[in-house]
Amino acid sequence: MDNSREKIIDMPQWLLQTENYIPQADKDTFVNKSILSLLKVIARIKTQDSGKQAKLLVNVHLKVAFTFMLIILLSLTRSFLFVIIINVYLIVILSFMEAENIIKILKISIGMAFFTFVVMLPAVLWGNSYSCIMITTKIFASITAVGILSHTTKWSLITSTLKRFFIPDIFILVLDIAIKYIVMLGDFTLNMLYSLKLRSVGKNKSKYTSLSGIAGTMFLKSKEMAEDMYYAMECRGFTGEYHIYSKLKFKIADYIYILINVGIFLIFLYFGRK
Amino acid sequence: MHIPDNYLSPATCAVMGAAMVPVWTKSVKKVKDEIPKVKIPLLGVGAAFSFLLMMFNIPLPGGSTGHAVGGTLLAILLGPYAACISVTVALLLQALMFNDGGILAFGANCFNMAFVLPFLGYFIYKFIKDRVITEKGEYIGIALGSYAGINVAALCAAIEFGIQPLLFKDSAGWPLYCPYSLSISIPAMTIPHLLVAGVVEAVFTVAIVTYIKKVSPGTIYEGAKQKTKAIYGLIAALICLTPLGLLATGTAWGEWGTDEIKESVFGGNVLGFVPKGMSDGIKFDAIMPDYAISGLPDIAGYLLSAAAGVAILIILFKIISSFKKDKVGSKIG
Repeated sequence: MDNSREKIIDMPQWLLQTENYIPQADKDTFVNKSILSLLKVIARIKTQDSGKQAKLLVNVHLKVAFTFMLIILLSLTRSFLFVIIINVYLIVILSFMEAENIIKILKISIGMAFFTFVVMLPAVLWGNSYSCIMITTKIFASITAVGILSHTTKWSLITSTLKRFFIPDIFILVLDIAIKYIVMLGDFTLNMLYSLKLRSVGKNKSKYTSLSGIAGTMFLKSKEMAEDMYYAMECRGFTGEYHIYSKLKFKIADYIYILINVGIFLIFLYFGRK
Repeated sequence: MHIPDNYLSPATCAVMGAAMVPVWTKSVKKVKDEIPKVKIPLLGVGAAFSFLLMMFNIPLPGGSTGHAVGGTLLAILLGPYAACISVTVALLLQALMFNDGGILAFGANCFNMAFVLPFLGYFIYKFIKDRVITEKGEYIGIALGSYAGINVAALCAAIEFGIQPLLFKDSAGWPLYCPYSLSISIPAMTIPHLLVAGVVEAVFTVAIVTYIKKVSPGTIYEGAKQKTKAIYGLIAALICLTPLGLLATGTAWGEWGTDEIKESVFGGNVLGFVPKGMSDGIKFDAIMPDYAISGLPDIAGYLLSAAAGVAILIILFKIISSFKKDKVGSKIG
């Protein structure tokens, strides 16, 4: 019992003083912004590969091929009527999707269309209102089309489509690895950014150098991960070659989809080439 | 710098895509030869790395932030061919998943950011590094390489935009795609890159390479020495390409002076007035003075000024490197 008394007496003076430390305010917008953009990317990829998203009940190969066709036609056409028809068609498809996805798609396409509009404004002042209206509406349509494609399709399925379109295996392999490792490396980097944030109390002057440290560590980590991955591939007998096992099979929805797209092509031939 | 669809004509997109095919083929072949099989997954992880690199926000003076492209960085770390494939895949992901950059314009975007940027950046870095052997020389190489890489890539994008109104018009003479010609697109694209983005890229690249060299030396790609000769070829090609700017004969659309615009003809009608925005607006022409020398045909003038520019640059580099070598020698002696 005596011991404890002594300890209290032994306590150094500075520990007993009440301290009034207010950390200096520091700017860390760039850390916050980096964290946010990383989170956005990771979230986007994770939702893409989860099975939850709305599916259009159409064969993926058809979807990719016809989206590509639509974008080419949009780019080629000189008729405003055709662009409007396509816009209406895309908005109708959009209306069948879930609200969450609609917001995500429209956010990008309206944003890009608005940006284009602003860029084209000086041309209007010169009396060239044609490019302003045409390009803005075209941009809206093609970005919405790609948005619909990417929000209704799993990435693994798009990879299989690439294989069908004779893209070399090495690109598919690189793409496949990239998608998975964006999430893994991203998580790793997020943790480093969080710790940078947590550990800088008050003004941290070396924060900027830390950022390059984080990026550098990310590179070294990616090297390590790549080596581990090679051994994993070797153990499992994967040589980087892809084979497709499923056969092309069309359902009723697919035939309807083909019909719609043939219709679009005919409309293009009739109006679009003007 | 990501070009969306419909700014470029489908024909331009096809040409740019076709131009990329041999580059991709060569890169795949080169990577297969050069990189041991163990490192093939590195390409994929490298693509993930380059994708994430673009997510890093770097503080800029004035409170805003910007992000780097990191093409030169990847080329220095992994080699230019691997960087080409990695950036291509990162761009594909951005186009398909994030709608950043168009699908048709994919070839053009790859040309600017997966070909011009890493290759030019890498060769400039290598060129300077092999001549100025000090450590400082290497950092100067990294900084200049990444700065030049991103700026020339921006210039390429500007040229792609700028030739649209010259080449693609409807029957009434209105441009079908991007309406701004070279005299506007070039300053609009290059000035922000020269002043801001290029500096961000250079600082970021130097900082990361410095860090990696310090923490884990030996992980950085070592290219073969003879490759540096390629830069002479590249410079020669660039000189030959400069007359491209003269593709359109006569005064190009949108390049009229204010006195010319009165007489310009639109679908048979003489315009007859000067648009107000033009007579009062900023004169972009003043920023890009005509590269013509009086008394010479235009093409010859272009070639001449290009050759002179390159020669001056080479002379500058030689002087700097000889200066450096002297310094090293004096230290040893």
